[in-house]
Amino acid sequence: MFNPQDIIDLLAANVRQTRNPFGVPASKFNTWWKDAGGFTRRPGDALLFTGLMYQAIPYIEATTRYLERLEGSSWAGYLRYSRFLPASLRGRGLAALTSAAGKKKFNGILHTICRLLKKSGAGFFYHPEMDFYSGILLYDLGDQDGFIKHAQFVDKTLKLHGVSKIITVDPHTTYALKELYPKYTGATFEVQPYFSQLQFQAPAAGNGKPPVVLHDPCLYGRYLQLSEGPRRVLKNLNLEYVDVRNCGEFTSCCGGPAESVSPALNREILARRAGELKAAAAPVVTFCPICLANLLKAGLPVEDLASLVGRHMA
Amino acid sequence: MALVNPDFAAELKAYGVDTPLECFNCGTCAAICPLLFEHFPRKMIRYVQVGAKEKILQQAEDLWRCLHCGLCTQTCPRQANPGELILGLRRYVVAQARRA
Repeated sequence: MFNPQDIIDLLAANVRQTRNPFGVPASKFNTWWKDAGGFTRRPGDALLFTGLMYQAIPYIEATTRYLERLEGSSWAGYLRYSRFLPASLRGRGLAALTSAAGKKKFNGILHTICRLLKKSGAGFFYHPEMDFYSGILLYDLGDQDGFIKHAQFVDKTLKLHGVSKIITVDPHTTYALKELYPKYTGATFEVQPYFSQLQFQAPAAGNGKPPVVLHDPCLYGRYLQLSEGPRRVLKNLNLEYVDVRNCGEFTSCCGGPAESVSPALNREILARRAGELKAAAAPVVTFCPICLANLLKAGLPVEDLASLVGRHMA
Repeated sequence: MALVNPDFAAELKAYGVDTPLECFNCGTCAAICPLLFEHFPRKMIRYVQVGAKEKILQQAEDLWRCLHCGLCTQTCPRQANPGELILGLRRYVVAQARRA
């Protein structure tokens, strides 16, 4: 395990300097929208707010590969000095370690979400200058001051742009905007996860494939109690799914939250959850980029809800 | 030997911890916690109740093992909110470190 304070100081310095925990300017890695067609903002439209989470997964994977090698070694203590490097230098190093295939894959999920929202007739728009990292990792790690300052910046910027309705794509950002921002910044946005906006004239036959098994992220399952949303989408499309014993409000954590301070602990928790899911002998579907990347690491056949639904509605 | 501080639970209110005295130490949280680790988080809650501040600071790293998965809070029969208590202790420890 790394010294948590070293990790917190590094992440907080990155957020202060680049508004995200990776030290890479958002313009460098938030590029998915360039291939997503145009967006027109009409009165009453909701802002699609990705929180930069799907785009960040290839960067998180690169960081974790590096941290896994470092954890427990005599070099681990030197991590504390990395915050003294300029964020741009840290960011360039990280960008060099990040795979193009990973970027394409996770950007593709955002393209699919956009396509599904359009097909459902949801009123939404996107603008990269209104899309920020939510600050959730600072909150989770206990950097309350850092989180509040960042959240206030995001809240103020969105209000300046007249945003009142928000569509989110991942549970971490949804939780931050729905529960934490109102508490810590007084924000009053109407926040909905994208799957609650999906409505299709569905082909009645389903996809003729065996059922998938669902992995509920902790934040949707327990904190936000939104596990029914993805199930409603699948039911409406006649796509079959099964649940494992630990699902919904009692879902098991995949271990992802431990990744930043202890990749080894993450692996331990992940192995247990992977075992539970493997017992269902079915492809896994989840709706969180952190869970998705983590379960892939366990070698499970797993895909995002949007990918499954997008393929069916192609 | 550990010094105890009966006002410690009140001190933690500034860090969002306001339910530790609800806990009657049944251990449900430790039983359901995926960490399966040395009576976590029950031990930490007990330290807060008796005000064993030094013990918490000595074992502070354990606080960051918590996944913030919420199972302990979901199953706590006393609504003592163990998950939020651990998060509050992280805030407390970070604030102490920054003050030092």
